[in-house]
Amino acid sequence: MAVIFLLIAASTLVAGVFLAAFLWAVRSGQFDDDRSPAVRMLDGLSHDQHHSTDKPTDR
Amino acid sequence: MSSSVDTLVCYHCGDPCKEEHLHAHGHEFCCPGCKAVYELLQESGLCDYYALSEQPGVKEKGSGEGVREDLLDLPEVRARFLEFSEGGIGRVTFRVPQMHCASCIWLLENLHRVEPAILRSRVRFPTRQLTVTFREEGLSLRGLVALLKRIGYGPDLSTDPKHEAPVGIPRSLYIQLGVAGFCFGNIMLFSFPEYLGADTSDLFLKRGFQFLSFLFSLPVLFVSSTSFFVSAWKGLRAHTINIDQPIALGIVALFARSVVDVLTEAGPGYFDSLAGLIFFLLIGRWYQAHTYRALRFDRGLDDLLPLAVLCKRGDEEVPVPVSELRPGDRILIRDQEMVPVDAMLQEGTGHVDYSFITGEPLPLRRMPGEVIRAGGRQRGGLIELEVLRGFQDSGLKRMWEEQMHGERPLMPRLIDGVARRFTVVVLLIATGAGLYWWGHDSSQVWPVVTAVLIVACPCALALSMPFTYGHAIRILSSRGLFLRDAEVVERLAHIDTVVFDKTGTLTEREAYDVRWEGKELSPYEQALVASLGRHSVHPLSQALVSALRGSVVPAVDVHEHVGRGVEGLVDGTSVRIGSSAFCGGPEQAVKNGDARVHVRINGTWRGAFAMRKRARSDMSTTVGMLRRQHEVHLLTGDVAVDATVAQAFRDPEIHIGQDPVDKTRCIRSLQAMGRRVLMAGDGLNDAGALQQSDVGVTVSESSASLAPSSDAILRGDELATLPHAMRLARRARRIVFASLGISFLYNVVGVSFAVSGHLTPLVAAILMPLSSASVVGFVTVAMLLADSRRN
Repeated sequence: MAVIFLLIAASTLVAGVFLAAFLWAVRSGQFDDDRSPAVRMLDGLSHDQHHSTDKPTDR
Repeated sequence: MSSSVDTLVCYHCGDPCKEEHLHAHGHEFCCPGCKAVYELLQESGLCDYYALSEQPGVKEKGSGEGVREDLLDLPEVRARFLEFSEGGIGRVTFRVPQMHCASCIWLLENLHRVEPAILRSRVRFPTRQLTVTFREEGLSLRGLVALLKRIGYGPDLSTDPKHEAPVGIPRSLYIQLGVAGFCFGNIMLFSFPEYLGADTSDLFLKRGFQFLSFLFSLPVLFVSSTSFFVSAWKGLRAHTINIDQPIALGIVALFARSVVDVLTEAGPGYFDSLAGLIFFLLIGRWYQAHTYRALRFDRGLDDLLPLAVLCKRGDEEVPVPVSELRPGDRILIRDQEMVPVDAMLQEGTGHVDYSFITGEPLPLRRMPGEVIRAGGRQRGGLIELEVLRGFQDSGLKRMWEEQMHGERPLMPRLIDGVARRFTVVVLLIATGAGLYWWGHDSSQVWPVVTAVLIVACPCALALSMPFTYGHAIRILSSRGLFLRDAEVVERLAHIDTVVFDKTGTLTEREAYDVRWEGKELSPYEQALVASLGRHSVHPLSQALVSALRGSVVPAVDVHEHVGRGVEGLVDGTSVRIGSSAFCGGPEQAVKNGDARVHVRINGTWRGAFAMRKRARSDMSTTVGMLRRQHEVHLLTGDVAVDATVAQAFRDPEIHIGQDPVDKTRCIRSLQAMGRRVLMAGDGLNDAGALQQSDVGVTVSESSASLAPSSDAILRGDELATLPHAMRLARRARRIVFASLGISFLYNVVGVSFAVSGHLTPLVAAILMPLSSASVVGFVTVAMLLADSRRN
């Protein structure tokens, strides 16, 4: 039955990785602003469109 | 112009297009400003702005608040704003209160495409902050502010962003919450074999699980629960009892008992209950901390005044900080700027709007040689003044200090009162049970006393209030009332007297209902009047122009006669609008506080427009509703009350001619009579009264406006929320009491287990989350019901 401690050690290690990821996310400010990142995601997408479509019609 | 014009909305800002709407690029615009922004964005290829949200723009509204742009070139002003400036790269953070949607964020983060000198711009939405990194040789700070203004996001320069206290949910709370949740989950898994009656004959396995539980409880104790201990210790030092003391006591009892149990092999300990308790408590804290961080509730006088003014030194005009103005200095004040010190007018004509002090926006005329008091705002041309007194000695500063010096009466917090009694009772029960077992079986003293402390830990009590008041704050914010914190909900429940300021609170600041008195004017004549009115900066003329529809006819030879009116040739017709004497009208006494604008066309007096300040919608029903349960008062700096407002109040409730200091005194005398006073004002000329009152509510057109020392901000068009808010606050209080009853029941059950020595870890593990969950569930449902019941 002692093998269960091996399993626990392994699972705790995996859980610990997630906890570490969470702590890193908090420390790097990902929980400070829950609104603008969602919009920031759209940025890259529109960037390509603009260079291909919008610019020529302006000039 | 056809009536269909009314239904068009501006492509940029979403405002209805009025008479001078523009059609360009296949879209409608309400004003040249909006069109210019559109063109700028189109040029930079930023038209996705309009795709992300409908009509996302913000119309640029002229405001003379804060720093003037040219002052941003001053080294000391620049240094105040720049966070970082090295190697030609500068970084600055502004508050941009206008940002409100996805489009705003997107545009503000793409500024580098409008201006190449901008390297990077980042938005922090919860606090409405924008951080811009830019090349200083390519763009000055002033240029950056001008750019932001041009696209409709003029930053709030009236405050010093660097000195602002950090707002928002602290990262440490997230970390504590995460650690507690992680440990709680794991400890619970380790406890299952014991609870589920698995084969526990294997001592090695059993001890191993207990040791793991102990290991995982250490971070809970040392990372997640520090804030409870700190707060409990602070309360102890201040000789007061707060809710965190019984909690801290419970945590310590849980941990000590568990460790002793494990060491003496008496049982598996209560580590899972410990972790669960702290996890739930932290969720409550997080929920309550989630309030309105974008709003500021604590502006002082310095925030309302300009940072610096233009001062004449020899032939030069240099900006000088307000605090450094000396008597005898010559200062220049332009249109819409505030005179920050008491000064004597030297050149130019003053049209001084003292709304900052009296609430009355109609400007008064001042001629050279007359004194303009600090706080007056110039409306019209450039004026030159001689400083009479420095800022520290100015009447404005003294008045501000006088109205601000009072202390608001303390209101005992419900939670502290409950916590005090609770702690005393728990300690009594624990001592009683301890003494009893001392006499009967002294080996039971330790387990019973710790069990009582564990089970009596006021977890449900500590959760019911954050959740109830958190719900109240959320519900009210969706109805246009933004509360500073949970304590305001509690204060609201005690209010029995409501005091209103008039101008800007019950009436709109500069909107008028216009009624024509005299022989009917033809549409053409109305157009003549409106076209002439356009040339005047007087607020009444501008109100008249926006009230009259009609095509614009060019006016020539226009002369504005200060304090009398304006005349000119419109489409070949001589037109005058202004005072009765100026237009040859009959002498008429001002009645009902209505202002009159007389009209003379081709030398004959035609009548007058009666202009009445527009009362806010729902004003009289709101006052009527409030009167059912509260005493109602109206304070105003004016000498006469507009008829619309007067109708809603009864005679003894109206107090006229009140200056800011009088208003504060009035609140104080009501409080001396034992009344709990809510003051609703616009925060300009009643800042002291707002601070003195038990709940100060700033009524504001936009949530971005000034809110000195108030507890709440109410959107001007949501006046009817006020009675509902107080009703909801009273219900919230009753709900808290009911939930206290529920948690008390759980405690009685738990304590009965505890004193008889039957509180097993399993019972504790079931009882604790069950009581927390049922209390949170109860208050959530009850608050939703309380909100849906309108009366």
